Amino acid sequence: MDTSREDVGIAIRSAFLKRGTQQRFSLVVLIVFSVALLFLETVETKPLNYIRSFIKDTIYRGSLIVSSPSNGIKNIYNTTKDHFNLYSDYRQIKNENNKLKNQISESSYLILENTQLRKLIDEQTASPSNLVSSRVMLDNQSPYLNSFIINSGSNRKIKNGMAVLDGKNFVGRTVDVNFFSSRVLLVSDLNSKIPVIIEPSGHHAILSGHGKNKPTLEYLPENHTIKNGDKIYTSGKEGIFSPGLPIGEVIIDDQVRVSLFSDLSQITFINIYLGDSNINK
Amino acid sequence: MALSIKEFKFRLIETIPLILLFFISLNGSSIIDLKFFSVNVHYILIYYWVLRQPLTLGYGFIFLSGIITDVVLGFPIGANALSLLIVAGVAAYVRVVTVRIKLINDWVSFIPALLLANLVYFFSLSFSEYSIDYLYLFYNSIFTFAFYPIFWVAFSILLNFMRS
Repeated sequence: MDTSREDVGIAIRSAFLKRGTQQRFSLVVLIVFSVALLFLETVETKPLNYIRSFIKDTIYRGSLIVSSPSNGIKNIYNTTKDHFNLYSDYRQIKNENNKLKNQISESSYLILENTQLRKLIDEQTASPSNLVSSRVMLDNQSPYLNSFIINSGSNRKIKNGMAVLDGKNFVGRTVDVNFFSSRVLLVSDLNSKIPVIIEPSGHHAILSGHGKNKPTLEYLPENHTIKNGDKIYTSGKEGIFSPGLPIGEVIIDDQVRVSLFSDLSQITFINIYLGDSNINK
Repeated sequence: MALSIKEFKFRLIETIPLILLFFISLNGSSIIDLKFFSVNVHYILIYYWVLRQPLTLGYGFIFLSGIITDVVLGFPIGANALSLLIVAGVAAYVRVVTVRIKLINDWVSFIPALLLANLVYFFSLSFSEYSIDYLYLFYNSIFTFAFYPIFWVAFSILLNFMRS
């Protein structure tokens, strides 16, 4: 019995503590170093943030180069798929166009009315001058984290928690800002919780991401009157984002889900709304 | 002294696992995620090579690869590095205690490696207050285990080629 216990001890020592031939580091040292790095992640100091930014920027550039062949293949696949779907897309767009034509007169009246009302309540509206455009640099689809990397960072006054728009549609927020790059956490991610308002009912809720599936609406009032097709906008509650940024529309099945206006897998350029950073203040 | 072509070819073949390790880290493709299953290639690659040819993948490289994966996938720095080192540790232990090379031995001993690595992964993400789909992590572990023999065969062919 003692001998077998000793054997196990010797085997563990041999595997974890000894460096072995041509191994520069022992496993235990590297494991301790990894744990130390995990602890350091929670420490926010300027020199550490600079080092982190530098490391991340460098790795993102390396990743961009390594990912270029697979991105190329992905682009070819998407282009081919688009060509095959050309006819069905054309039919769909034609139908949408007809519907939109009917709505133009109604919406122009609403825009006018909205502008007048906003002037009345003296609300700050998003102007194109406080938007920064950026390109999606890396879109490595991780099954755990729905995010992508953009090629702008603190060099363009981006801060953590800013709203990220695809055109005018809200798609996520900045979570990890480096010098020349930032990570955008998409609304579909498990860690994403966005305060929203549902129109026309005016109910407030939290848009909660679920990874691959469509995000759902949580904390709705019990007797809500939400129906399919209702529009979702950022509510601006807690002052995190500007109110009225369009997100998607309601689909009701077993849960109240949201079909996003933007296809998150097809985003190439985004706008970052610089006026929204309140998280770090 | 200049390398001969034969020597260069040999060196190149020898570094294939290392190239693969850094490629999947930088490309963010440590998990092959298909419609019905997902496999963690990173774990399999490290487990096999540390077990069968430890000189090919140094612990330092494995650590570095984990750090790169953390940065690319947006996880707290150290989480992946730690779980990959645990896989390497279990593989090193199994290497010390086993004599005969058999697929079934490797395959069965891969279970504690996966369990320990995912446990460490779970704790490091919980510590950093990151939410991930733990059910997905569970499925991923099962499929990673199930697909191990396929990779074992592929890597064994490469290993035999390297030895020859």
